[in-house]
Amino acid sequence: MSLFHDPTAASTPYKDPTPLPDDIPKVNELGATSAPLKSASFFIGAHCKEFNEDFMLCKQESRDPAHCLKEGRRVTRCAADLINKLRENCFKEFEEHWNCLEYNNQEFYPCRKPERALNKCVFEKMGLTKTIPGTPEGKTPVHELTNPVFKRQQK
Amino acid sequence: MPVPWEALIPFGLLTVMFGAAGTLLNTSKRLQNQGKGPRYNIDAWDEMMMDRDRRLTGHPRGQRSDPVAPDDFSTSSMWYTERTR
Repeated sequence: MSLFHDPTAASTPYKDPTPLPDDIPKVNELGATSAPLKSASFFIGAHCKEFNEDFMLCKQESRDPAHCLKEGRRVTRCAADLINKLRENCFKEFEEHWNCLEYNNQEFYPCRKPERALNKCVFEKMGLTKTIPGTPEGKTPVHELTNPVFKRQQK
Repeated sequence: MPVPWEALIPFGLLTVMFGAAGTLLNTSKRLQNQGKGPRYNIDAWDEMMMDRDRRLTGHPRGQRSDPVAPDDFSTSSMWYTERTR
């Protein structure tokens, strides 16, 4: 009468009742979860700056989802391209950094040592640097401090 | 001279009881979070990202760094069922 059929245990795959029209190009969604994305965040910002800014300005014009589909596809493609390049060039340092983030509530301050290794590898192989926008003039950014106030309690 | 060792039994009991309770709690939290400590100070952004992680990997603390998502990821969002007004 009122039996619950769990959708995850269905025998046939899910068929989308309202798919996008065929004239819209299909782009695969980004499969990276939160920790790898947070680790790569500043490099996505450096690599995909124009596409991200285009998308944000487009969204400012109108929040209708259909208005910014093209810019959104570009953003997804650029981020997926960067994650691919990161995995090709600096896989070990990348994995170490996002594993460290996962063990520390996804906060940057306890993971400066793996972050330094990742930044060095990415700069050498891909030419991207991490810059924190909004650092006051003349002060070192927090990720380059040699003796920070907020740090791990154990070495 | 006889040492009053019976007087130290309550201290020992308290230490063991607190230690056992604390260890059990820590183990329980780690078992729920795939061997890592629990997340704290979670805001709406973190909740949204952890829901996305659950859709991608099956567990809110699961992580993967593949650039391509599984096929059912694009249609598994709760956005389809949300009311817009």
